Amino acid sequence: MDKEFITRGVKRCSGGKFLLWLTPWALLLAFGLYSAALVLIKGLNQTNMDNRFAFGLWIFLDLTVIALGAGAFFTGFLLYILKIDDLKAVINSAVVIGLVCYSGAVCVLAVDVGQPLRAWFTFWYPNVHSMLTEVTFCISCYLTVLAIEYLPIVLKNRRLREVPSMLVFEHELHKLIYVLAGVGTFLSFFHQGSLGGLYGVLRGRPFAFREGLALWPSTFFLFIISAAAVGPSFILLTTWLVEKISRKKLVKPEVPGLLARVSGLMLAVYVLAKTVDTLVWLNRTSPDRGFQGWQYYSWRPFGTWILFAEIVAFGLVPALILLSPKLRAHAGWRLSAAAMACCGVALNRFVMTVQTLALPTLSFDPFMSYYPSWQEVGTFLAVVAYGVLVYSFSFRYFQLFPQERDLRVQAPPQREESELVTAGRY
Amino acid sequence: MTTRRDLFKIAGGAAVGALLTPAPWRMITDGALWSENWPGIPRPARGEIRAKFTNCTLCPAGCAMKARCVGDQPISIAGVAGHPLSHGALCPYGIAGHHLPYHPERLLSGAVEDAAAAIKKGIGEGGRIAVFDTRPGRTASWTYRRAMASLPGGLYLRPEAALNGDAVDLSAARTVLSFGVPLLDGWGTPGNVIQARGNFRLIQVEAIESRTAAMADVWLPTNPGEERAIASLILNGGMDHIARELEDGPVLVLGPEDWPEIVELNRKYGALGRTIVSRRDAPVPDTWKDAAPEMEWADAAEGSIRVLLIDETAPGAYVPWHSIETRLSRDAVVVAFTATRDGYARHAQFALATAVFPEALDDIPAAVDSPAGVFRLSTSMVPSAAWTIDPAMFIAQLAGIDAASALRDRADAICRSARGNVFHYADQKSTPMKAMKADAFWKSLNEGACWIDDLDPKAHAPQLVARAATRASNVSLVETCGAGLVSPLFSKLHEESHVRLARHEIALNPAVGFCDGERVALQTDCGRIAMTVLLDPSIPPGSIQTATGADVLDLCGGATGAKVVRI
Amino acid sequence: MNARYGMTIDIDRCNGCGACMVACAVENNIPPAHAGANDRKGLTWIRVYKVDNGKEYPERRSAFVPVLCQQCGNETPCAHVCPQQAVDVDPKTGVVGQMPERCLGCRYCMAACPYHARYFNWWDPAWPKGMEKTLNPSVAPRMRGVVEKCNFCHGRWHEARERAAANGLAASEPVDYVPACVEACPAGAIRFGNLNDSTSEVAHKSKEPDSFRLLEKLGTDPKIYYHSKRDWVKTIAEAPRPGAGKENVRG
Repeated sequence: MDKEFITRGVKRCSGGKFLLWLTPWALLLAFGLYSAALVLIKGLNQTNMDNRFAFGLWIFLDLTVIALGAGAFFTGFLLYILKIDDLKAVINSAVVIGLVCYSGAVCVLAVDVGQPLRAWFTFWYPNVHSMLTEVTFCISCYLTVLAIEYLPIVLKNRRLREVPSMLVFEHELHKLIYVLAGVGTFLSFFHQGSLGGLYGVLRGRPFAFREGLALWPSTFFLFIISAAAVGPSFILLTTWLVEKISRKKLVKPEVPGLLARVSGLMLAVYVLAKTVDTLVWLNRTSPDRGFQGWQYYSWRPFGTWILFAEIVAFGLVPALILLSPKLRAHAGWRLSAAAMACCGVALNRFVMTVQTLALPTLSFDPFMSYYPSWQEVGTFLAVVAYGVLVYSFSFRYFQLFPQERDLRVQAPPQREESELVTAGRY
Repeated sequence: MTTRRDLFKIAGGAAVGALLTPAPWRMITDGALWSENWPGIPRPARGEIRAKFTNCTLCPAGCAMKARCVGDQPISIAGVAGHPLSHGALCPYGIAGHHLPYHPERLLSGAVEDAAAAIKKGIGEGGRIAVFDTRPGRTASWTYRRAMASLPGGLYLRPEAALNGDAVDLSAARTVLSFGVPLLDGWGTPGNVIQARGNFRLIQVEAIESRTAAMADVWLPTNPGEERAIASLILNGGMDHIARELEDGPVLVLGPEDWPEIVELNRKYGALGRTIVSRRDAPVPDTWKDAAPEMEWADAAEGSIRVLLIDETAPGAYVPWHSIETRLSRDAVVVAFTATRDGYARHAQFALATAVFPEALDDIPAAVDSPAGVFRLSTSMVPSAAWTIDPAMFIAQLAGIDAASALRDRADAICRSARGNVFHYADQKSTPMKAMKADAFWKSLNEGACWIDDLDPKAHAPQLVARAATRASNVSLVETCGAGLVSPLFSKLHEESHVRLARHEIALNPAVGFCDGERVALQTDCGRIAMTVLLDPSIPPGSIQTATGADVLDLCGGATGAKVVRI
Repeated sequence: MNARYGMTIDIDRCNGCGACMVACAVENNIPPAHAGANDRKGLTWIRVYKVDNGKEYPERRSAFVPVLCQQCGNETPCAHVCPQQAVDVDPKTGVVGQMPERCLGCRYCMAACPYHARYFNWWDPAWPKGMEKTLNPSVAPRMRGVVEKCNFCHGRWHEARERAAANGLAASEPVDYVPACVEACPAGAIRFGNLNDSTSEVAHKSKEPDSFRLLEKLGTDPKIYYHSKRDWVKTIAEAPRPGAGKENVRG
């Protein structure tokens, strides 16, 4: 029934089946929206955050999804600025993922603050010293950029293209793509970095505090590099997942290999930088402020295993796997390494948000623990559901994977009822 | 002719022009004002700021207070600097005392007519009537005594008098040996104790490192229940390092109750007449002298009381109910005059709601650490609600005596005695009583003043009376005051921090094996009360610490030991 | 000359009575705890902690430490991180002021503060019926979703300023006043004054060898000086040492 909206030359399941797929996600979204509504109406006492755990699940997951959504800007940078054309195969998917990650994170942030109606104060009374001001401005601008980059994907829809003004608009927009990519890269550089800077400047928390270069603590740069490293890995993982769920081949075999190589390279650079930074922090920065490094890992359950896990198990190991051409060629190794890289970055974000707050700063403070309430989990599940819904919708009606049609033509032909491309522009 | 185009040009130009002025930008900034506070957040009332003076009735110390008022409504309370007794100090209960009239747990109206009818019936059938007064020595106490003298067989009962009614002169002490007494945590008049602190060495004998033990010069940890044995040891020449200090004198020995060992130690080390002194009460009108005598509750015959009226409005010593109950006849009528449901109201047939601080006009007798008699008023800063009962008026009416001007009459009697000095709170100046006239004295008292007697030149040597220990020995009770009602802001100390134990919280050593927050029961022969565990490593494994309260005292008074059981 | 208001707190005199905590709540219109509030979700602008020497009974010794906003003077952590300038450091008094009217409730400042001196309104304030008559008109009550903290009783400072101006004192001259906690402490353990005035009690006491500040090595330059003759008490100023048995469960 909605066949006219589906791109020519590709096959999608029936409308009924699609609705069936959407239903559980829609229900999850409804539940999540209910959780968020409870928090907005009754206040933040619905969460398990408290005066010591001022940040909890939401901030940790926000930072993680923004790092994972970095594939959008980094792929755009590699494709449009460095002209690595093979990445055209995944750029649309990356943009959708980025849009979903960023818009979801912004929605969760709106629920996370005590007075969401005052969000405009940051724009009206900005504090030039505050990293959070930088984050707010850059994320708002970048979300706009992502929305603009999403527009051409929407406008390329089979039916919408039939409207002449939309065709022209899309064409003109496409000329801007290099500008958008450049602006997006610039903004992303800054906000990925300032998300790291949020913690690196906390001189009251020696666990998080880092020295740096010029205005920015080292965590600024580490977050950028780690985001750039994990973005392609996440695209790799999501592409594979979509291929599995839709049972179609969507990208040519060299594309995952390319993504893996880029990710591996960035990850290796990150692990090196992170190791140097950790050594400086443990031996100089923290002790200079009266906090010995060993004490951070004396509070159970945060032993030195967490440091090892973050840098070696989920950092160095996947980097080496992704850099090795033999291992990279195998889907199993490649995907495992990509997943480990994503876990490593998530672990890093967790350490910077939750562990920072759990560790005591005063000698008469206890070590404190926190676990999220169901309203917090629900709200975040709403973001996941929203992401799946938007992505499913985009995958069905827009051409997220340009190589899909070619791969389908190359595949052994099967008797099907769906239309085949005969001629003409699509 | 103005065309549409012209209109658009003007409008467009005006819009651009306006953007160049501060107006829209200021309006956006001012828009933030609308989000300052949302509706439903109470706005404090405004009005003329005034100062009112009074004295606190929440415990026998009766500390002087200066209330900051908006119009007539007190909004905060501070001490009166330079006061000869309290020295400007207040405890947290007094600081938030002005909240009590609005306490959500306050007792509201009782069945007054039914109570009156039951009392009349009881007296009419020839039964004996008694008044039990938790804080004797007030003018209201004299009203009860006069009333009981007017009723056949009427008795005036009081809790046991600590130190047999004598006073402590802390400033005369050089060494204080305390057996678990919370000297630095609410004993006597806090301001007076702090002022005198520099003059004496404090040796605290206690199982728990209480606040007083933590700040004492020497803390002697004991096993719970062994305090009397240690007192006995010192008495018989053991523990010479302590005995040597005591010989240096002057000494004061304090205990939670007047154990025989405490009495003997005070006698042995010459405390009587030096640090423990007799004190004469503030004068009363001659016509009151034929009032019924004060009688300790234990001296009333068992089963002899048919009508018992309990005035619990001024918190003092709490006598466990099972002790008082023994004095009641089988068909006894018990009426409690109180502002809280948690005290004797639990055991009375009729609980009649009274005013709370700072609603009622009352006086506060001298505290244990005031060597001189005093007279001071707690003024009515806030009007009492119409449904409150004044127990003194009720009982006076019952007995047919006139007590409407009792406080004024007493003030006049004090004025006539021409003894002592009057300290005025507003200007912190002292006037000799003999230089003041009765009207001026009464006015001063109502505006904030305190009469302090001269020391009695004919003071006899104090006679201490030994009493048996009555409380469960392994339970350390953290004192609270205020007849069960404390300001709702005390959540700062109980729930929002752990500075003080809240009601029905029990502090135990982690080694005992319970978990933080676990629900347990504190159990003695007298019953059990459900409590929540708070783990505290400073409580030794054999001890239990909990906040005092009428129900806890009912449980632990008369019991030999308490234990904690899971529920 | 600008004032630098500060405090000295004598730990040897504090018996943990909590009068300061209650007086602060009375003065600053802090509501009683909402049902469900605990010591991690409460509003205690000044909070007394119980510390000990880490030994077991009977060698265990305790002390009480009131902790409030330290009014950091150097690169004030909370002022730097607030995204909308809801925190300002007044150069005339050195007081770090919090503007709940501008606060977004992002709680970044709470993460930045090493002294845990900032408190979030997790609930809307609620007073028992009638108790709102006892609110202080000099201080605005806050709604939920904003951060608040000690500001050295700014309302009292304002009133002192107005009185001084009425008496002809120049606007640049520091005024004398006392915050509620200082006035309330029965033991006189908390003293307040102008650290820049070399004749003031706090200026003198802050220079004594027994005086120390919390977490000095962080470089925040706090204006609260603690004082104790006991050596073990002085160790509370340092960073936590896990396993030293100092982990405080209560307080």
